Amino acid sequence: MASIELSRIQKRFGTAEVLKDVTLSIADREFVTLVGPSGCGKSTLLRILAGLEAADGGTVQIAGQDMTRVRPAHRNLAMVFQSYALYPHLTIAQNMATPLKLRDLSRWARLPVIGPLSARSAYRAIGEQVRETARTLQIEALLDRKPSQLSGGQRQRAALGRAMVRQPVAFLMDEPLSNLDAALRVHMRAELSELHRRLGATFVYVTHDQAEALTMSDKMAVMMGGRILQFGPPDQVFANPATLDVAEFVGSPKINILPGEVDHDGRVSALGRGIPARLLVDGRLAKVGLRPEQLHLDGGADGWLGRVVHRENLGHDLYFHVALDADDQRLVVRGAQDRNGAESLGDAVRVGFKPDRALFFAPDGTRLHSVVPAKLAESA
Amino acid sequence: MQNSRAHLWFIAPALILIFLILMLPIGLAAAMSLTDYALGNPGFNWVGLENYERIFTRSTYERMFGATFRYVAVVVPMSVGLGLGAALLIHSLTRFGNLYKTIYFLPVMAALIAMAIVWEFALHPTVGIVNRSLEAFCGTPLELWRWHANGCENGFPLWLSDRDYAIWTVAFIGVWQGFGFNMVLYLAGLTSISPSLYQAAEMDGATSGWERFRLVTWPMLGPTTVFVVTITIIRSFQVFDTVEAFYPQGGGPGKSVYVMMFAIYEKAIQQNLMGIGAAITIVFLAFVMILTLAQRWLVERRTHYV
Ligand SMILES: Nc1ncnc2c1ncn2[C@@H]1O[C@H](COP(=O)(O)OP(=O)(O)O)[C@@H](O)[C@H]1O
Ligand SMILES: [Mg+2]
Repeated sequence: MASIELSRIQKRFGTAEVLKDVTLSIADREFVTLVGPSGCGKSTLLRILAGLEAADGGTVQIAGQDMTRVRPAHRNLAMVFQSYALYPHLTIAQNMATPLKLRDLSRWARLPVIGPLSARSAYRAIGEQVRETARTLQIEALLDRKPSQLSGGQRQRAALGRAMVRQPVAFLMDEPLSNLDAALRVHMRAELSELHRRLGATFVYVTHDQAEALTMSDKMAVMMGGRILQFGPPDQVFANPATLDVAEFVGSPKINILPGEVDHDGRVSALGRGIPARLLVDGRLAKVGLRPEQLHLDGGADGWLGRVVHRENLGHDLYFHVALDADDQRLVVRGAQDRNGAESLGDAVRVGFKPDRALFFAPDGTRLHSVVPAKLAESA
Repeated sequence: MQNSRAHLWFIAPALILIFLILMLPIGLAAAMSLTDYALGNPGFNWVGLENYERIFTRSTYERMFGATFRYVAVVVPMSVGLGLGAALLIHSLTRFGNLYKTIYFLPVMAALIAMAIVWEFALHPTVGIVNRSLEAFCGTPLELWRWHANGCENGFPLWLSDRDYAIWTVAFIGVWQGFGFNMVLYLAGLTSISPSLYQAAEMDGATSGWERFRLVTWPMLGPTTVFVVTITIIRSFQVFDTVEAFYPQGGGPGKSVYVMMFAIYEKAIQQNLMGIGAAITIVFLAFVMILTLAQRWLVERRTHYV
């Protein structure tokens, strides 16, 4: 098990700069997720860490050793590929035994017929290790099957098994759940987290799905356009996003961004309603971010007047899409838990908000912090 | 059930075509192989299996099988192996790949009859480039090779007209002509291997090219190999144009290059012995049939991954 340090990684494909000076340090036994929209360079970063791609600049350190020029096979990492990349002509047991055979057996012992005869005990040990891992993943019954005879979820487990069977210093996973159906994906999230706790290994997990990042990781790195915009624990990234892009990427449904104005004293207002916060800014404009769960439909007399244009029922939650009358602006509002579904399509509503967690951004997207805590500003 | 016969209408065109194009000629050949029919004769006699008996007892046909099997035994492994080797080399190139592809594929495209003239010239006993080159090495350490030393003393072989060399020379030309085709098939197979398998192999610790080949390339080329081998065997059994170009009469020195297709041609066309020609044809078809069945069995048993 090991810590991983990526420092100042740069990568370009032709003229396209895919990674711009990425620095990331992952502690031992940490579950770190690289999350970001498709094409932002997550896979490239992971492949540079694995050694499958060479960086144009920067260094890769694993367990304190510089591994930048070490070939993938010697970095002792394990990778689970999006396509699983199981060897189709081998059974699951043979697939899982492959990394052990290639690493633990001599060239002689790997020969087809002579090998198993001459190195019988080594082969028995490998078989035992494979069965042990299969037991952990509950795929013992599948050991004699070929990958083509397995379902997506079973293949996923087999690929995980091949990665787990030798004790690698870290596990790298590139969107391992994206080929599974929705229910299985949610189930596997929990399993992977549990597996991480059980193995106590370092996990680096790539996904485009912010929900996976939020639910599974110890820390998530939000990537966009070849940069890491923010790196921190999921709840912190969610509650305290560093930029507008992060705020918009993390959280579903998306955060509502309203045009705001700042007066001479730093008081903020959005769509004509004052927000209890003080900003120290030169500009007169700011963006105000309010998450759907901070909005509600009983805003009283000074709420924003609007009309329900869409109801999004997720079962456990109900979201209303409200088109405001005054401005060309739509808000997504989470329905109150106790009076679920009272409003219907076309109803006129007044949208109110809980001001204490409003987020403020400068027009260029950087975060602005209120100099006065919301509670105090409100009472002032 | 008025329309219960509709299916007949759908399969009828295919059935009729198969019958006309395939079954009828084969049936006629099979029937003819039991006669002593000759083109132009007013009638014929049924001779039963006499033609087949001849094929399997007479020394001429023993030579025919000998020449054919020698040719197949050289051409199949060599042109499959070289095709695979060339494909692997070209596939690993980042530049000039297309140039090499074209060069290796040229012999496939070139008409063999035309190329035969070039080979005849190159293999000419005295002025040919092959023997000239061999002579140029006389007096060098290459003479440690007994065969070469002997050649320097007594003259190098008459490649095309020595009965000990003729069939191997013709087989060599067959390899030269055929491996480019196999190379193209293998290249297609190589491009369809998912790169993530190689990456998985690397992560699993396959560090040498040989390990990658054994773990990924060779198994993934399995279906291609079955196809390539079958095609090559059938094409080798069908060799005719080289033999016809070099030895228009008699099938080479001491009938040592008397391959099956040439035998059919000589018996049925040149000598107008339709019966025996048809019998050789049927034997040939039987070989092809067995090979095709073997291929199907292999494809279904061994290389059916997905
Ligand atoms: N081998 C390659 N050659 C050229 N461009 C590439 C290559 N691999 C990735 N890219 C480009 O780099 C960018 C980042 O790719 P990737 O890391 O795969 O993104 P993602 O975050 O979706 O995993 C994309 O724009 C992609 O087109
Ligand atoms: Mg990707």
